[in-house]
Amino acid sequence: MNDSMTLGIHRVWKDILVHKMNPSPGTLLLDVAGGTGDIAFRFINYVRSVRERQLQRKLRHHQNLSWQEIAESYQEDKSKSLGDSQVVVCDINKEMLKVGKQRAQHLGYTEGLSWVLGNAEELPFDDDKFDVYTIAFGIRNVTRIDLALQEAYRVLKPGGRFLCLEFSHVSNPLLSSLYDLYSFQVIPVLGEVIAGDWKSYQYLVESIRRFPPQEELKAMIEDAGFLKVDYQNLNSGIVAIHSGFKL
Amino acid sequence: MLRCGTAVLRRAASGGGGHGQGQGSSLAQPLEPSLLRFLVCPLSKRPLRYEEATNELINEELGIVYPIIDGIPNMIPEAARTTQKKPPAEGSKESEQ
Repeated sequence: MNDSMTLGIHRVWKDILVHKMNPSPGTLLLDVAGGTGDIAFRFINYVRSVRERQLQRKLRHHQNLSWQEIAESYQEDKSKSLGDSQVVVCDINKEMLKVGKQRAQHLGYTEGLSWVLGNAEELPFDDDKFDVYTIAFGIRNVTRIDLALQEAYRVLKPGGRFLCLEFSHVSNPLLSSLYDLYSFQVIPVLGEVIAGDWKSYQYLVESIRRFPPQEELKAMIEDAGFLKVDYQNLNSGIVAIHSGFKL
Repeated sequence: MLRCGTAVLRRAASGGGGHGQGQGSSLAQPLEPSLLRFLVCPLSKRPLRYEEATNELINEELGIVYPIIDGIPNMIPEAARTTQKKPPAEGSKESEQ
């Protein structure tokens, strides 16, 4: 359904989010409202490829290795393909988590991935634990956004990064009217035809309109204590990535 | 995957019914040990004790217990049961996500 509504572009948005994060091996990520695992899988792929490149670079510099050293390097590869990176996926919806877990099994993601049923406003995690906190298309559905932001601040390590990917506001008037047309005329119809559910998709589109615009969300993030808060518009503001640091 | 997504949405929208969830031995899945490093009680933010026998996470101070279902710890306070009473406690919130 996401693919139909966004013509597959939602995948690009999520890719951009992980690229912006640029995680290095050993990063601890908390992905909130990421039930089906989209961000988590991308994170693991990214870290794996960074790790591979690291190992290749290391091997290239060591031209004259003894057999012992070569055997050791192969063993390291197996145990540390992720370099101790880990992602915890937290969602309030059990069904989403189940789907995510099944997808993980299908796609072969076995290590470095954990699933927790929890509320973004009341995270079951200890203070100062995570390097990065992401919430992709989830903060819109949180009742008390300020509480979720405060919890995000709490569980991040000092130096940790907050990243939020969410639908936002289009300022360009022409694009805005086209976007409104698409949102209110096409999306609920797609919802009815594909999922048999007009109302949920009507609600979806309305909730996007009600959500605070970029600057307001930026102010809310700053209120929670984050510094160097900034946002990046994607597709002229249809989607925005907000970023902040706990310093 | 598309079909998976629509099925999930349909279930979420209709308010779910717990049909055919447990596939027999689903309760036997243990918790990922690395998770215990991070997990605390969402209410008091205090550490939890993992009980292997019943596959639950116990907060001694407040006397509440969080179940682990299908290997996923359920850390929603409303779904947790107190250690005094008998648990009817399933049914975590299936609110829209």
